[in-house]
Amino acid sequence: MMREVSTSALGRARATAGGGGKGRTLWTQLSNSTVLLKLAGGLFILTLWELIVRAAAPAYVAKPSGILRVLPKTILSKAIIDGAGTTLWAVTQGLLIALVLGTVVGLAMGHLKVVERLLRIYVSGLNAMPMIALLPLLTIWFGYTPAARLATIVFAAFFPVAMNVTDGAHSVPSDYLDVARSYRARRRHIWFGVTLPSSLPYLLAGIRIAIGRALIGAVVAEFFISIDGLGFYILFQSRTFHHNEAFVGVLMLAGFAIANDVLINWLTRRFMPWYRAGESGK
Amino acid sequence: MVSSEARWVRWGTVALSVAAGAALWELGARRASPAVISPLSATVIRLVEMIRTGELSSGLLGSLALFFTGFGLAVATALPLGLLLARVRVIRIALSDYIMIANATPLVALIPFILSIAGLDFAAKVLVVYLFSFFTILFNTVEGARSIKPELIEVARSYRSGEWAIWRDIMVPGTLPYAMTGVRQAIGRGLVGMVAAEFFLSASGIGQLIMTSARNFDTAALFGTVLIISLLGTALTGLGRLLENRFSPWRAVGR
Repeated sequence: MMREVSTSALGRARATAGGGGKGRTLWTQLSNSTVLLKLAGGLFILTLWELIVRAAAPAYVAKPSGILRVLPKTILSKAIIDGAGTTLWAVTQGLLIALVLGTVVGLAMGHLKVVERLLRIYVSGLNAMPMIALLPLLTIWFGYTPAARLATIVFAAFFPVAMNVTDGAHSVPSDYLDVARSYRARRRHIWFGVTLPSSLPYLLAGIRIAIGRALIGAVVAEFFISIDGLGFYILFQSRTFHHNEAFVGVLMLAGFAIANDVLINWLTRRFMPWYRAGESGK
Repeated sequence: MVSSEARWVRWGTVALSVAAGAALWELGARRASPAVISPLSATVIRLVEMIRTGELSSGLLGSLALFFTGFGLAVATALPLGLLLARVRVIRIALSDYIMIANATPLVALIPFILSIAGLDFAAKVLVVYLFSFFTILFNTVEGARSIKPELIEVARSYRSGEWAIWRDIMVPGTLPYAMTGVRQAIGRGLVGMVAAEFFLSASGIGQLIMTSARNFDTAALFGTVLIISLLGTALTGLGRLLENRFSPWRAVGR
């Protein structure tokens, strides 16, 4: 019978055919209420997780009941707040650097054919490589210090920004540029006054990818060079068999990543309603 | 079609770009200490040596085996599951938000857990690659499912199409382009998972080559392996793009 509930129209038709109120089964009510369905889905996942861990895993393995038990104490602990603060601050710094450099390089590649032809293979090649492979090299250059983490973040975030700004600059309607040129606008005015605002959706899409990669870069760098931060907190807690506490850290990290996605999607829809999100997302 | 002259110009500039990059690398590196950066010439010599000793090919083969096992399992499970979710609306609504969350979460953070629960062996590393690619494919497949117009299925039903015909003519062709976008994105993530697994679980493959050469300050080998891995990334991503365009020629992406 689940197979039948294929389309919204059919679902509605069956719900009314069931005779409003009394004849409606619990199933049709449930399948028409998305909130309840989502809650049921979440509950199902959590129950499954809890049962599997209880049945098959050692006691220290994280499970929903255990996480819930340690949540209030852990989330207010100094260790996790400091760790999250350090990591977020590093990500913010790295992101700003990558944003400025990436925008300038992207605009140059979008406007000047020579620059694009010279840089294209390097930018797309480095964008395609797993940036964590550079970590050992970065530790040689910067030592086992927070500077190596910052470099990882910049490196992870730079290429998506540059690639997307380039694509955005290509997408500017040539009429805009023609008008600007016929009024003898200066180059910097064309770049930052015409192209940049016009390709803002691309920039935002690039930033969304960049933040995701920057978070990954920060966590991996903290694993690798053992410096304080949210990633190291997770590593330390799980090494000392405090898996529940460690998972609170994972939840926090997931929270940052999801908040970033939601925020950028909202910004795009709120301020650039003409742009259909997902068209240039990579 | 591109005219032959335009193609000539394009390849000429690529060659020029490679030559300029190589010259910059060689000359720039000669000014610096070899413990910090290795010139192109030294890197190539070391790379040839690594190929001759078989170091590079065995490392590369180990990494590729890891990548394709994990990635293949992810494709083989995420595609059918995504299609199933495409058809069964109730489960899709119930689960799609959680799939989105899992896709957005930086799953590298789970590596310490995998390390202490699943251990260090090949299967644990496959699990890392699998997790990194699975949710991206699933997420995109479900997105594709959501894009299928219910009217299509209603029309098919009113013409008394069977379940099999609906799958063959509507569900699979409608979902596949999105699923292939997921496959392309998953290649990049799977590669990150591959290197992360080789760094943090037990050293093997290309990850081990990178780590040992860094520890020995053998920058020539380090630059060589990094170069190889970026070529590997470019090749695999190119393959993904090819797949994506093959299954959805009407929205060719990127270049």
